[in-house]
Amino acid sequence: MGYLSEGIIKAFDLLLTGDPETFSAIWVTLKVTTCSMAASLLLGIPLGFGLGFFEFPGRRFLRTLVDTLLALPTVLIGLLVYALLSQRGPLGHLGLLFTPEAIAIGQTILALPIVVALVATAVEGLERRLRLTVLSLGANRSQLFLTTLFEARFGILTAAVTAYGRVLTEVGISLMVGGNIKWYTRTITTAIALETSKGEFALGMALGLVLLLIAFLVNFTLSYLRRYR
Amino acid sequence: MKPLLEAKGLRHLYGGRCVLRVDELALGRGEVVALLGPNGAGKSTLLRLLSLMDRPSNGKIFFEGKPAFPFSPVSRRLALLPQEPYLLKRSVFENVAYGLKVRGIREGLKSRVFEALSWVGLSPTEFASRPWHALSGGEAQRVALAARLVFRPEVLLLDEPTASVDPQSAKLIREAILRARDSWGATLLIATHDWAWVGEFAQRWLYLFRGEIFEEAPPILIFGPFRKEETFWVKEFSDGKRLFLSPPREPGAEVALLSGEKVSLARGGVGENVLDFQVLSVIFKKASGEVLVSLRREDLSLTFTLPSGLSCPRPGERLWLKLPREVKRWFSL
Repeated sequence: MGYLSEGIIKAFDLLLTGDPETFSAIWVTLKVTTCSMAASLLLGIPLGFGLGFFEFPGRRFLRTLVDTLLALPTVLIGLLVYALLSQRGPLGHLGLLFTPEAIAIGQTILALPIVVALVATAVEGLERRLRLTVLSLGANRSQLFLTTLFEARFGILTAAVTAYGRVLTEVGISLMVGGNIKWYTRTITTAIALETSKGEFALGMALGLVLLLIAFLVNFTLSYLRRYR
Repeated sequence: MKPLLEAKGLRHLYGGRCVLRVDELALGRGEVVALLGPNGAGKSTLLRLLSLMDRPSNGKIFFEGKPAFPFSPVSRRLALLPQEPYLLKRSVFENVAYGLKVRGIREGLKSRVFEALSWVGLSPTEFASRPWHALSGGEAQRVALAARLVFRPEVLLLDEPTASVDPQSAKLIREAILRARDSWGATLLIATHDWAWVGEFAQRWLYLFRGEIFEEAPPILIFGPFRKEETFWVKEFSDGKRLFLSPPREPGAEVALLSGEKVSLARGGVGENVLDFQVLSVIFKKASGEVLVSLRREDLSLTFTLPSGLSCPRPGERLWLKLPREVKRWFSL
């Protein structure tokens, strides 16, 4: 068990001395997940709102489809994005394979169903009385839309936080389409996977601690938000 | 008086079933009207249509003589307080200010919100910054009312405003809506089950049953079983008394509706359709000075307007009434 405690001590050492390799992985992770979250929220909030707010034919089918996509395995997304971005793929000419952008694209696909499904649930879960109340106070159609979105804000934040937790901790996409290139596409999770296989526990442990810290912050926010739903 | 709000030829359908049938209804400016009727009579539907929240399946609503529709500018001159109103997930201040903000009114926002809160008996300094979830049922109801009063609607339609509040809140709600009538001439239409509460101030009473309005007197419902003869149907009570009714023309009829105004007081216990009833409660209509007596005989309940000059009966006493043989309408259950 000695190497475990050694690992923890070294982990703090790496973090406190600002080890460049460790911080490079942290920086790449934050950069990539921020991009993928921005994209998935930008697309997912309007889609989820539409799915939850309006009645239209095929809505039930779309809901089921989105719910199915929640279970999409990251390696399958990795495979898909790899196929799209590889030299022979339809988007091969963009030269995006093994770049942080490729990881962000894959993570957007991973996060999108989560955002859509949870935003739709949040909007559906709003009280039926909301529409009548807002209209009876004199709101016009666009004010009704904006107020509904604002009333669902806790649900939308929950969707964002849940999706963030998912993209932060995934390995499959980052590994397959990022290529785990040091200083460039190596993220916290891929670094842990590599360092562990090399027997380098300290770096893995340090990165694991950072991951836990971010995950804690994310979940702390989530539980805080849930109190007000 | 020229009516402010009118409904003509109103028909509203839910799932193919006609739930509202109002040929003509007119409300004058500053009128205080009570809307009474059992659950499912169509009170909420009528209020939603009159307040221009929903479009009727057929017929039109007129405001100041002109046709009015949802989302039209005149719809902002009316306000509906729905049953169990919903508060937005914001502070009390923001809830009350919402109606002004959607109308683009920014000037004097704070003083108008504070004024509206004080009208409903809520201290502005204490309540304005409270979050929506830190209110009691009666306080939430009054915040919802303040949120309507703040933009000074010309017609205020209230759907069971006192259904889940204590007597103190009911009193404050009454004072606030009467202030709206007195200070800017608001027309009030109040759907309620609380006859005693509304009796204190309503000028006009409308009774809604099965989507139809009865204005003269509350209609009377007679439930079966009936002994069916060729020329009349009979409802037999357990004490042997009988009520004769003209038979339905259509098959499937199970409930008879009698006009309340055709009921008269009987001197003694003899004669066709003369029945004794037990007095349950007495309601005083302050505006007209009339007395409404709520009566029951076995499964038959009715409300009777006592002719003037008679001494008021006490609950528990017996009263003899002569009911008409004529049935206004037969219904299926």
